[in-house]
Amino acid sequence: MNLDLDPTQTLLRETTREYLASTVPFDRVRACEREERWDSELWRGLIEQGWLGLPFPESIGGGGGRLTDAGLLLEEFARRAAVVPLAEALVCGLACTRSGSPSQASAALEGLLSGDVVPVPAVLEESDTWGVVEARVEGEQLIGEKLFVDYGQFASHHLVAARENDELGLYRVDARDDAVGSAPLRTIGRTPSARVVYRDAAVEPVGGPEALRDLILTARAFAAVQCLGSAQEALDQTVAYAKVREQFGRPIGTFQAVQHHAANMASRVASTRYLVYEALHALDHGAATPQQVAFAKASASRMVPEVTMLAHQIHGGNGMIEENDLYFFTLRGKDRSLAWGSAEECLEEASAAVDAPREWIC
Amino acid sequence: MDFEWEKEYRDFRGEVRSFIEEWRTPELLEEYARTYGADGPELRRFRDALGERGWMRMCWPEEEGGEGRNLFYQFIFVEEMEYWGMPYGNLTYTSIAPSIQRFGSDEQRRRYLPGILRGESTFALGYSEPNAGTDLASLRTRARRIGDEWVINGQKIWTSLADVATHIWLAARTDPDVPKHQGISVFIVPADAPGLTIRPLHAMYGGHTNETFYDDVRVPHADLVGGVGRGWPIIMHALNHERVGLAATGSLARLFDQLVAHLAERRPERLEDPLVRRRLADLQLDLLEQRALAVQNAWIISKGGTPIAEASMAKVAATELRTRIANTGMDLLGRYGGLSRENGELAPAEGRMEWSFRIAPIFRFGGGTNEIMRDIIAAAGLGLPR
Ligand SMILES: Cc1cc2nc3c(=O)[nH]c(=O)nc-3n(C[C@H](O)[C@H](O)[C@H](O)COP(=O)(O)OP(=O)(O)OC[C@H]3O[C@@H](n4cnc5c(N)ncnc54)[C@H](O)[C@@H]3O)c2cc1C
Repeated sequence: MNLDLDPTQTLLRETTREYLASTVPFDRVRACEREERWDSELWRGLIEQGWLGLPFPESIGGGGGRLTDAGLLLEEFARRAAVVPLAEALVCGLACTRSGSPSQASAALEGLLSGDVVPVPAVLEESDTWGVVEARVEGEQLIGEKLFVDYGQFASHHLVAARENDELGLYRVDARDDAVGSAPLRTIGRTPSARVVYRDAAVEPVGGPEALRDLILTARAFAAVQCLGSAQEALDQTVAYAKVREQFGRPIGTFQAVQHHAANMASRVASTRYLVYEALHALDHGAATPQQVAFAKASASRMVPEVTMLAHQIHGGNGMIEENDLYFFTLRGKDRSLAWGSAEECLEEASAAVDAPREWIC
Repeated sequence: MDFEWEKEYRDFRGEVRSFIEEWRTPELLEEYARTYGADGPELRRFRDALGERGWMRMCWPEEEGGEGRNLFYQFIFVEEMEYWGMPYGNLTYTSIAPSIQRFGSDEQRRRYLPGILRGESTFALGYSEPNAGTDLASLRTRARRIGDEWVINGQKIWTSLADVATHIWLAARTDPDVPKHQGISVFIVPADAPGLTIRPLHAMYGGHTNETFYDDVRVPHADLVGGVGRGWPIIMHALNHERVGLAATGSLARLFDQLVAHLAERRPERLEDPLVRRRLADLQLDLLEQRALAVQNAWIISKGGTPIAEASMAKVAATELRTRIANTGMDLLGRYGGLSRENGELAPAEGRMEWSFRIAPIFRFGGGTNEIMRDIIAAAGLGLPR
């Protein structure tokens, strides 16, 4: 057992944080929101930093890191409310490099690391239900409609869940193809998302039902770590604020009611942090069950709105206006809490195994 | 004990409801949403009709132009208007008019009440300052008397609707040398007064509120309300009225009903899911519990009492429930739950859950923060030592 980050991970977290703090002022995030675009400049930056290759094996040209390292990266990006499809591109990259031959894998990674390929997953449809996939592939062409394709309108490729002869699979589609049409959706997170229609779009098969299941599991764990990042940042900003905001001639952080709110926030974040990184670690070791990941995401999903609500309570009026930075984390947090399975959906999934024997203390 | 509403109350509720049915047009609702209820031809017509009914002051004493009705009527009126989301009058009606009635001079009553009751005058509340929120009594905006005028200097924040209102109900310090609660006076300031600058602050729920700057703004002594240094009880009186609105069950029940209606219409398979039904029952119980507090609160008022702890309980319960309905509602709607109303048809229940989630924090710290409300319940309600 070792619950501490190793020195490389600590360094990764610190350099990422410093890089983002110096290159992404929050006003740049505001500009992206206003103009309904992604931060393509930051994307180039993160390619240059080599972060995108982090969780891929060295044998195919990756950084030899793990999902836990990717988690640290994603947490920092979430804390900066960065408008880039880092989680999306990583889950697609992992799906593409895990299936196929080693040479196909390194080709896929090469595309990703060149910055030319920005892939995002497209799974959910009108029914908003994970198992229900109506998009079909016939004769290497895709017909169907997807919803909630995050960053779909800016991506170069989509990794689409579809059926071919009744078998579920993942297919790669060039999103710049005329056969692909997308319309933007406005979500609470204020990051790009799209509704996408595929009309006989040319596809390349990537993997079968296993690959799709894997992708959803990883994406779910990543969304959980993004919730955690939002909550952690909301907590830190709130604690800092409670120390300087004065009422009745003293910092509001001296009032017991405020202290209790902050203490509750910190406790919620600490529980979720453990469960989320534990799930990522289990995924790294091929030991994660769907139930474990579902519990981690359920924890993150229900924790983040609680924490941001208390953050608002302590901030009072100042937290409500867009000149203050708190709102990013409230809105993003809730958006990610719904993405890849809300608390409700994840708990329902986890409930399937509540009566399975379990060693609580081992 | 008897939990039945008497016939006259049931009849009145029916009367209000059919009035709403008649007046709740898409044009009115659109204008309301667009102008935040400040002004417009539809709103004016609606308020004229309201004024004709006399409902805005039916509970005032007869000698003050009212009908002396029991305050349960007011409770029913607010509940219905809130449920249907009608522009029945913002705080101008519910909190400023009663304050002018109670504390104003004869001249002020003559000058301001008819305009308010006709919906022509609207007031923004100029209480909060950058450094005076919960500790409102420490406010520093200064009014100095020069001859028959007061000259006002300072800064207010969160002066909502100041940009569309006709007047500002302003709290300013008239005497810095007495204990802080005793040096405050209330003024009626025209919103277009020279020296007054209004700057918008955009909020995360899509609307805006304002910062307001007073630079030698002049107000005649005749527009000081209730006497020099007598502002604090006036502000507290108005805040109590504000809380009644904040504690109303109407708009919460509506949010719940919109959620269920959406599920029934568009996601019937989800509504059949026993887990979803269980979650909805949970919210329904929350609503029943909140309304229990609201009705008990109204009961005390109707007997002529002044609920203190009870009003705080209802306010805390209502405002925290708003968060819960919006948050759980979004969860039950899955990723659709995060779609805002700009998505048109795709947004469930016109994006109400999503929007409510963004606006919900305000109610918990506005109108007296829930921390202070709990202090009041403990101290005034339970007699716990300070
Ligand atoms: C959109 C919006 C519209 C508004 N509209 C108006 C308006 O029209 N007119 C107007 O005058 N105001 C308005 N307000 C202001 C609102 O009334 C204040 O936000 C509220 O009074 C809280 O003050 P504050 O924001 O300064 O928070 P603070 O007073 O700084 O409080 C911050 C936190 O500290 C806690 N705290 C403070 N003191 C204590 C204590 N003694 N014990 C325990 N906890 C304590 C509070 O409970 C809160 O949780 C508006 C605010 C917003 C956001």
